[in-house]
Amino acid sequence: MKAPRRRHTLLPQILLIPAVVLFLLFTVAPGAYAIYLSFMKQKAGGGLFGTDNPTTVFAGLENYRAAFGDAEFWHSIGRMLLVAVIGVPATIGFSTLFALCLDAKRTRLVGFSRLAIFLPYAVPGVVATLLWGFMYLPATSPIGGDTINYFGSHTVFFAVANVAVWGVLGFNMVVIYTSLRGLPRELFQAAELDGASELQIALRIKLPLLAPTLTLVTVFSLIGALQLFNEPTTLKPVTNAISSTWVPLMRVYTDAFVDNDIYRGAAASFLLIVLTVAATVAANTVLRLIARRSER
Amino acid sequence: MRTNLMRGTAALTLAATALAMTACGSSSSSSKAGAASGSHGKVTLTFVNWDGGMQAAVDQWNQANPDIQVQLSKPSGTGYTLYNKLITNNAAGTNPDVTEVEYQALPALIANKVIVPIDQYIGDISADFDKSSLAQVQFEGKTYGVPQNVCPMVFFYRKDIFDSLGLKPPTTWDEYAADAATIHAKNPKQYIGNFSAVDSGWFAGLAQQAGANWWTTSGTTWNVAIDDAPTQKVANYWSNLIDKGLVSPEPNWSPQWSTDMNSGNIIGWVSAQWAPNQFPSVAKDTAGKWVAAPLPAWTAGDPTVGIWGGETEAVTANSKHPAEAAKFVKWLNSSTEGVKTLIQQVAAFPASLSNQNQDALKTPPPFMSDQQDYNTLIAQAAKNVRTFQVWGPNANVTFDAYSNDFAAALQNKTPLSAALTQMQQATVDDLKKRGFSVTG
Repeated sequence: MKAPRRRHTLLPQILLIPAVVLFLLFTVAPGAYAIYLSFMKQKAGGGLFGTDNPTTVFAGLENYRAAFGDAEFWHSIGRMLLVAVIGVPATIGFSTLFALCLDAKRTRLVGFSRLAIFLPYAVPGVVATLLWGFMYLPATSPIGGDTINYFGSHTVFFAVANVAVWGVLGFNMVVIYTSLRGLPRELFQAAELDGASELQIALRIKLPLLAPTLTLVTVFSLIGALQLFNEPTTLKPVTNAISSTWVPLMRVYTDAFVDNDIYRGAAASFLLIVLTVAATVAANTVLRLIARRSER
Repeated sequence: MRTNLMRGTAALTLAATALAMTACGSSSSSSKAGAASGSHGKVTLTFVNWDGGMQAAVDQWNQANPDIQVQLSKPSGTGYTLYNKLITNNAAGTNPDVTEVEYQALPALIANKVIVPIDQYIGDISADFDKSSLAQVQFEGKTYGVPQNVCPMVFFYRKDIFDSLGLKPPTTWDEYAADAATIHAKNPKQYIGNFSAVDSGWFAGLAQQAGANWWTTSGTTWNVAIDDAPTQKVANYWSNLIDKGLVSPEPNWSPQWSTDMNSGNIIGWVSAQWAPNQFPSVAKDTAGKWVAAPLPAWTAGDPTVGIWGGETEAVTANSKHPAEAAKFVKWLNSSTEGVKTLIQQVAAFPASLSNQNQDALKTPPPFMSDQQDYNTLIAQAAKNVRTFQVWGPNANVTFDAYSNDFAAALQNKTPLSAALTQMQQATVDDLKKRGFSVTG
């Protein structure tokens, strides 16, 4: 690529304006407002229902202390991590496996298979969860709900992770597959001439070259795991195993829109953002180090 | 990519909301000026209600009142999904004029200033409603709605299966437990019923029957007694049945429960007056097979029952036409024509005393076609209703705690009474946090 000749143009900045404005308006401003809210609280006024002059007062760190000191908040993070521990490796593992299978030399019906694997991604999360809910419940299950308790105290984590993995597998597979198709074919031909089997090519050549893509996909999956909300929320009404504060986002939602305490909800969500950003940066750094090492 | 897409959608939604908010903000100021000069001409009211059949009542009103037209819309969610949305939208000024509110949620909406008293528009309604109905809508001498229906709890059972087992419907809770054992012993797949951790109103109704009073007030102080002796009695009773595996622990309204209700695996339902309206979607193949009987009693012959559900229509603080809205509410819930439509189309049992003898009540709801005296049974139960003194201003928190703590107890097979203690704690903590004066 050649460096652009004309340097003193404002075009890039101008083109950036819409994105920056949208970012400020819809990410920074609401975020700042949420942070402001997290330091406030509602104080009931006089009368039986507290409706005479209720006030919003400065609460200091009270909401944060409440969120931080709330065992249920940490439990919800623990449950989210458990689902992530099951779901993220499964997503990466299976999507890589499928991509390698589709890319293998003698695979037939590639177009159809790719579509079939991708299709679940096109199914809205709520619909997917309803569908899996039917599959899990003994009375309606075609997959052995009578013998396996999909909503046991331990199995429920697999049940939730399964829905999430099923939904994003295809998307990740396509990303990896696209990256695979972009790799230079000569390498594989050379390896073949040297007598490498299809499996050896996949493991020794394709996989290491995929490292940057896998890093990206892993970060996507981690962020996806932190945002876990749809699946457990939709499954909640059909089972006793999932509470309204099962994962952090459900906790935030319950605080703000069930218990009508947006102030505490704001504090909990801000805490969560800090944790999420920290986790993403950490994961990114670690994965990049691993990727760099394997490139050598 | 996915996150980018989602952010884009969120931005769009927000932009639309912001636009809608500004639009409503400006229109509210202009119409307030209009109201000050005396409202005249045609008024259009918006009305949110999720009951099937309500459109018929609205159509009837619209025909008779060309100047006050009502526009019915269904909310995107029922129960607390709607109430929480009302609370959130209240600040933005986007609430409908009239909304459906279940009795247990009314105090929370009052505390959040979502609805307004309507005494000045409807006058004194005390002659046409009994004390327990009025207690659901009147607080501190103000009336916040006209009671629509009474929903006493009753016991529904599959008569064909009970007959084949040689059983009679239980009249006491002891008999219910004995029947539960007999049924389950004969067929391990069959249950007399289930214990539902998603329906706090159901459990509250059972506690009312036992004599509980979860919330009481003295002056402006709230007393919370959710883990009182009567409620503990109810919790321990069900704990015992659950431990022995005699009732199903699966929640109501799930595909699991519906399938079991339809297939005859669950052959009883401790429910309320409105159940026949729900049966067609829960157990469609069993029409005519269910029969209602009085709720089992704690002491033989005691007719006291609690309520599960029941609702009123309330006028919101956002409404620019509260007088017209209140007029509609009063017509809907206490006029002969309005109530007749409610009975026939919504399958309600009216709270309005003068309407409890309507001819429309002589025919049972379609699903109960074989039980001609269905409404006679309900009328009898309605006379013996016992409710809490008042629902708390944070019943939403209590109900959420119920669904979490009771579900966890069922999941982990721990006693329900411990869950009650947690429920009590959550409710008291929340009231204190909000700055109410609380004891208990």
